[in-house]
Amino acid sequence: MATKKIGPKNPAIKVGEAALGYVDERTGAKTGFKWFLFRNVPKETSWFQTLGFTAMALFGMQAITGIVLAMFYKPEPTQAYGSIESITHEVTWGWLVRGMHKWGASAMIVVVFLHMGRVFFFGAYKYPRELTWVTGAMLLILTMFMGLTGYLLVWDQKAYWATVVAVNITASAPILGPYVADIMRAGPEFGPNTLSRFYSIHMLVIPGGIATFIGLHLFLITKLGIAEPPWSKRRIRAVREEEEARRAALRDRIPPGRRPVPAVAPPSAPEPVRAATPPDGSAPTAGSGS
Amino acid sequence: MAEIQGDGSERSRYGGPRAHDPEPPDDAHDDPAYITRTKFLTGVAVVTGGVMTAAILVPVIGFAVADTVKDEEFRWVDIGALGDFPVGEVTSLAVSGPDPESDRRVFLRREKDLLTPMWNRCTHLGCPVRYSPGGDSFSCPCHGGAYDSEGRVISGPPARPLDRFDVKVVDAKGKELKPASAPDDARVLIGKPYSVDDDFEKYELRGPGEPVEGVLSNLFPF
Repeated sequence: MATKKIGPKNPAIKVGEAALGYVDERTGAKTGFKWFLFRNVPKETSWFQTLGFTAMALFGMQAITGIVLAMFYKPEPTQAYGSIESITHEVTWGWLVRGMHKWGASAMIVVVFLHMGRVFFFGAYKYPRELTWVTGAMLLILTMFMGLTGYLLVWDQKAYWATVVAVNITASAPILGPYVADIMRAGPEFGPNTLSRFYSIHMLVIPGGIATFIGLHLFLITKLGIAEPPWSKRRIRAVREEEEARRAALRDRIPPGRRPVPAVAPPSAPEPVRAATPPDGSAPTAGSGS
Repeated sequence: MAEIQGDGSERSRYGGPRAHDPEPPDDAHDDPAYITRTKFLTGVAVVTGGVMTAAILVPVIGFAVADTVKDEEFRWVDIGALGDFPVGEVTSLAVSGPDPESDRRVFLRREKDLLTPMWNRCTHLGCPVRYSPGGDSFSCPCHGGAYDSEGRVISGPPARPLDRFDVKVVDAKGKELKPASAPDDARVLIGKPYSVDDDFEKYELRGPGEPVEGVLSNLFPF
């Protein structure tokens, strides 16, 4: 039994605790953070389960570097490429921040797909986590859109024509494709409005969407807990018990005389001898197999 | 088997349906069709919220979308005197598109009695094709589409021949002339682009990647 120290505390700690208590009493923040951060995870959790956090951390990095890049970038066809040149070559650490944003974007795509593969191969999308998968799929689409819209902003020949091709691929989708493409490029051809439109989508629309869906995704993860990997002993046992229960229920629907006799005796110990009369006074059930 | 619960209600030991359920109390609020104050105010809040959201979203979406889905307007453009285009050669001309970066060009082929202005937009996915005088063919840098001297696909993924422009040759008074008999100072005008099939049958302009004939052309009805 640990002893509890009583008596005066460091006044700084006291003030801190009082402030925390004040906030927690009015918001429930402490409870919320405990619910969010201090939850049980399966025993077999490994590095594979860190990919989702990695993707989220990369999104955070993209958001922060993107904010400061937007301070120097000019979404204007005549100036866009020049402003990127100046970010890369003139602004202090501009090469670094732009590099972080550029390589972070590629890394995010890679990590997002690895994360999806992990969830798929671990079967972590199964009941009750289907909607976590759906929100994740939305995040995947938004991330791909981020890649498409950001790629154009460099406004060099490669960016321009690669995006022309991408939008024309959209346009070749049946029925609505041409309209979606028109809306994306703000008219029948690429132009200045296309650049502003992509810039606006890249830095206002999609980040909001991604943040929203990350919130939903995290809420569902916290609510449902992390899935056990397929080799988890507990999960294997649970699945087997479920199967056995299902088989037993099926067997119980056949009249006792016609039930198939198991080929091999079950490995369990023989059934214990029942008490002659159960406590509630009803007759013991004979041969029901339960 | 029934037992009396703490709140005085009766409950069977098994939770299933019973032969005789007690009658509901005679209270209008328990009738699902009865509009309570709460139900009414919920409805008012939903309708008001919907109207307010629509009042914001309709102008916003109209603003962002309406102008973009309009078709491009084309007008007749004077691209030079007939004598500037030597017979039997292809001349490449930059024409103004909505944006200088779009690199819109016309390849004007002049035969003895025929002018064929072709759009440099690849009919695969819209990259700019270039003309090579040596092979007298057009090729696209993006995915290797290649067209012969008249714009027919000779290899690669394009869905149809190169698009063409309406063209006419006029004299100083605006009277239309035949290219074969027009003087060298007659003006060449190009107008609306159109798509063609393999026999150069004229179709309304299609976007890149859209075939003009065959089953797949029905995928783009509008």
